[in-house]
Amino acid sequence: MSKMSTVKKSIITAVCIALCYALPLLFHGVQNAGIIFTPMHIPVFICGLVCGWQYGLLCGIAGPALSSAMTGMPPAAMLPSMMVELAVYGVVTGLLMKVVRTKNTVADLYICLIAAIILGRAMNAVTKALIFAKGEFALGTWVTGTLLVSWPGILIQLVFIPTVVVALMKAHLIPERYPRLED
Amino acid sequence: MKLTNMTGLYVPAKSPLHRLDARAKFFGFLILVAAVILTDTLYGYAIIVAVTIALATMCGMPLGTAFASVRRLWSVFIIIFIMNAFFFATEEPIWHWWIITLSKAGMLQGFSVVFRILIIMVLSNILTLTTPPMEITGAIQLMLKPLNLLRIPADDIAMIISVAIQFIPTLLEETDTIKKAQIARGARFESKKLRERAAAFLPLLVPIFLSAFKRADELAMAMEARGYRGAKNRTKKKSVPMNGKAWLALVLCTAICAAEIII
Repeated sequence: MSKMSTVKKSIITAVCIALCYALPLLFHGVQNAGIIFTPMHIPVFICGLVCGWQYGLLCGIAGPALSSAMTGMPPAAMLPSMMVELAVYGVVTGLLMKVVRTKNTVADLYICLIAAIILGRAMNAVTKALIFAKGEFALGTWVTGTLLVSWPGILIQLVFIPTVVVALMKAHLIPERYPRLED
Repeated sequence: MKLTNMTGLYVPAKSPLHRLDARAKFFGFLILVAAVILTDTLYGYAIIVAVTIALATMCGMPLGTAFASVRRLWSVFIIIFIMNAFFFATEEPIWHWWIITLSKAGMLQGFSVVFRILIIMVLSNILTLTTPPMEITGAIQLMLKPLNLLRIPADDIAMIISVAIQFIPTLLEETDTIKKAQIARGARFESKKLRERAAAFLPLLVPIFLSAFKRADELAMAMEARGYRGAKNRTKKKSVPMNGKAWLALVLCTAICAAEIII
């Protein structure tokens, strides 16, 4: 497999949008799981890494919107800032995967992932401060919410997303980033 | 598996719902979903249950067909309810032991979450049972049409969202199967410790993504084999204006939603 077709990228994006609905349901048994483990972020990162920035952007916008419409999670008040954050994740991972080439797949994935996590969270703070929670935004509360409460989610993202992407490459479900000559 | 027992699949028939315009069904579905989310009273729940049963009866298939996906996921619903009832709130406990608190607020929250997911799943199942995928895509395209003015490929986005909606029941079933397999291997989803419970969920992630991507690969291959090259190159039948019955259905759905808000 050398390159993915547009049709395949579209279907993978559709599956990732559906997973934005299904994964949070799986974690719903754990109290405050949405905030602590951030399960909805995982399909968006994977969509951006695998399909590119346009598809990551769509997944980041449509995933939380569909889930909110069908289950009421995330609540309507949180939806706009969450859509911005997830859209940034999808766009940044997709763009960086085009630019970053260290000849090591795992290193590429970590660089893209860490940059996207930082930029997405920063954009979430900026949009809350300037638009969605103007006048009510407190940096201390945001830092507590982002780093102290959701650190397990960040840890899960750093451990599992590269694992899932490499597993998908090994299963030949997506193309290898650096194909070996004998392939 | 019998064809009529599969979820997210169109089953041809000649019922009034099958004959109804797909655009009216899709926009009516969205209005009813809004009604389900907005309702929080007993009368509201009763109205929406009555409407859902009436629609399931109207689709001209055994009632169990519309409820098939719900029946298969009963264990998930029980887990969601129990978790909410015992862990949601610590105030005004009915029964308390260590970190477990059975509360009225928790039970109501559990009931509300399960009820909403259940009704929305049945409604989406009725929509997909009675509407061919192409017509659902057409309705989403209509909704996204204004995006064309900004040169955003609304047709492709409509196709992606329509496939995503059809994938949801399949993915939920797959997730449930993988979860049961992990329970058989000793995973402790009901552990009292947050760390243990979360750790039990993590081994599910890789198999869920592998199985979902495998399904995506198969579907993409099937679409390409049938000549699909993107929504831009597709030809479509000329659209006809909605008839009186379609408008009446939309007015009824809007009236139900308004009643839910007023109650």
